[in-house]
Amino acid sequence: MGLIGSYNLRSMIVRKGTAAMTAGGIAMVVAVFVMTLAIAQGFRATLVASGSPQNSIVLRKGATAESVSGVVRTDVPLIENLPQVARGADNRPLASPELVVAIALPRQTDNQPANVPVRGVGPKAFEVRDTLKFVEGRRFAQGTREINVGRLAVGRFKGLTLGSDVKFGAATWNVVGIFTADDASFESEIWGDADLMMPAFQRPGYQSMTVKLADPSMFDSFKATIEGDPRLYLRPQREQDYYAEQSQAMTTVIRVFGTFVTLILSIGAMFGAMNTMYAAVAYRTREIGTLRALGFSRFRIVTAFLAESIALALVGGVLGCILALPVHGLSTGTTNFTSFSEVAFKFRITPALLAGGLLFSAVMGAVGGLLPAIRAARIPVARALREI
Amino acid sequence: MKFIGLVLKSARRSKRRTLLTIMSVAIAVFLFASLRAVIDGFNAATEASSSTRIVTLRSTSLFFQMPTSHADVIKGTPGVQDLTWANWFGGVYKDPQNFFAQFAIEPESYLRMYPEIELVPEERKAFLDDRTGCILGDGLARRFNFKVGDKITLQVGIPVYGTRDFDFNVRGIYKSGGAAVDNQSMFFHWKYADERSIQPGQIGWFVAQISNPDQATQVATAIDQKFANSPNETKTDTEKQFQATFVGMFGNLNLLLGSIALAVVITTLFVAANTMAMSVRERTTEIAVMRTLGFPAGTIFLLVAGEGLLMAIVGGVVGVGLARGLVSPDTMQAGAFIPVFGVTNMNALVGLLLSALIGILAGLIPATMASRLKIVDALRRVA
Repeated sequence: MGLIGSYNLRSMIVRKGTAAMTAGGIAMVVAVFVMTLAIAQGFRATLVASGSPQNSIVLRKGATAESVSGVVRTDVPLIENLPQVARGADNRPLASPELVVAIALPRQTDNQPANVPVRGVGPKAFEVRDTLKFVEGRRFAQGTREINVGRLAVGRFKGLTLGSDVKFGAATWNVVGIFTADDASFESEIWGDADLMMPAFQRPGYQSMTVKLADPSMFDSFKATIEGDPRLYLRPQREQDYYAEQSQAMTTVIRVFGTFVTLILSIGAMFGAMNTMYAAVAYRTREIGTLRALGFSRFRIVTAFLAESIALALVGGVLGCILALPVHGLSTGTTNFTSFSEVAFKFRITPALLAGGLLFSAVMGAVGGLLPAIRAARIPVARALREI
Repeated sequence: MKFIGLVLKSARRSKRRTLLTIMSVAIAVFLFASLRAVIDGFNAATEASSSTRIVTLRSTSLFFQMPTSHADVIKGTPGVQDLTWANWFGGVYKDPQNFFAQFAIEPESYLRMYPEIELVPEERKAFLDDRTGCILGDGLARRFNFKVGDKITLQVGIPVYGTRDFDFNVRGIYKSGGAAVDNQSMFFHWKYADERSIQPGQIGWFVAQISNPDQATQVATAIDQKFANSPNETKTDTEKQFQATFVGMFGNLNLLLGSIALAVVITTLFVAANTMAMSVRERTTEIAVMRTLGFPAGTIFLLVAGEGLLMAIVGGVVGVGLARGLVSPDTMQAGAFIPVFGVTNMNALVGLLLSALIGILAGLIPATMASRLKIVDALRRVA
């Protein structure tokens, strides 16, 4: 450690121009890496946050998403009266039969129409999804054309502010409240009374049913009961599993793309680090010779130069993380292709992601520095000392 | 020009360093050209859309459908010459992972209005004559190894089409004659899907052929006015606008891919400028000698800058070559909703220009450094 601290790190400071450029290159790679993965992270977190361990969502058998599912009216009492379903203070079951459609509204940013999900919910919806909190206004009154809008949808689409009237489904709806939902995808949705929305959208039935279980451990018996009932062509899923599955395809695409681009880019940055380290070794041939003559072993020289390269790359890594940090919390949106409607989410940079970025930079430094470090150790002492 | 030998000589001075620099520029240009190709792939359908086709949807959103009776009303609108319609089928081929687009179309008018669907006459006739026939894009056919005469079974994806599987006969493989229609889709008879629908007589979208592209807005407004305040209000747009909506679904792609491309360029700039600076520093004494021999500062500047430019352009050629070879529509079928893309000549040219720009910018500071060298100091310096 002594050699690394007193010699290699100080030499890095002496060559500050070159060192800064190399670190700068690595910083850009790490920044791209962290930013793209922050998109995947944010998208996934938003959908996963939508599921609660105590809830179960019931869809038509074979349906991969609410948008292609169907639950007929007569199924509702059969499900909500099951003993596994929790009950509210009024002893009514905590279950919400729901209808999900998408309506076209212009985006704030580019004025292009986007598909905004509209969820018609049952009277117990706000007790089933207990993370929902109102930041402005109040919840819609049952049996009226009032709607509530998620916080992220308000900022992303036009005409959804508190008090405004929105026209869809051959009717006009009044926004009476704006809610948050711990960053869940519900924040991109519009909520209203399912029983009024069904005729407005000319839909014959519901699409899904979400229930709160009395206890999360009751899921298996809940599932067995429904699947064993010949009247029901339905499949219950844990809400968390359902939403994790919804995020899978998109998250994978972003991750694969981000990793692919950063890997290729990192090769370029690694070549840069290699160049710098080779030059560093070449400039200091005489110094290395001296160190060897003083009795430093080849192994010490290799580790010292490798450490110099890694340190240089880590400086770049830290810089890259700092460059990427400002995007954290920025909200953006994309279409969730399993539901074909737009989900707003926030870039999410987690400590693990930053650690990944730093590790990535260290690997770039190690790979880029290995060959030059070996070269440094191989320099014959006598010749090195003679060199001017 | 007479100094080209000298430039080549100095580039060969440290072969390893030159090679590493060339490779890092090559990688940057490869990435840049590929990213451009992705952006172009997304925008291709919008760019290639016809100015004489307008698309009518339900105003609520494209998830809602319209009754067939709309057809006569739209046909009767002044300026409309021809009309066809289509539905999104959303079927599943064996596994949801095998996603591809399937459209239930009114076959005769659709093929008439979309000359981009290029079919040989025999296959066209076979398709029109078979109620359960379908045609596939050549890209899709390659992906699943479908051939004319094959049977394809699709599971129902949208509940409105019931629960029974649909069987199709492959009657033709079409080529795409323009990006407005991709080669990854399946088309079949609208009637076949409709007769098994729980809500028959519903149409997803109408496409009208208009006689005069300048009147697109007027005709669109006229169509929408006819359905205003009815239970099935419509929203009519040009085909370009319709396609742009789909691109917009991905979010702000241009910004995302654009920033990555910028990061690529900056990274390479750092690497290349760094190398040039190192090589100039190494040659301080040499440059001083050349100046003493009478080379003017300007020539020295050009020599160093030329070396940077040369390395960058060689790297650019390698990168563009790689991109052209690896990123082609044949290899880049990401599936799902990502369009097919390939590096075009235009992408390649932009990549080459970029490498030249990197070369010039990277050489600027080192070349200035070299030309401003104080001869006396430089000669006195050791190593």
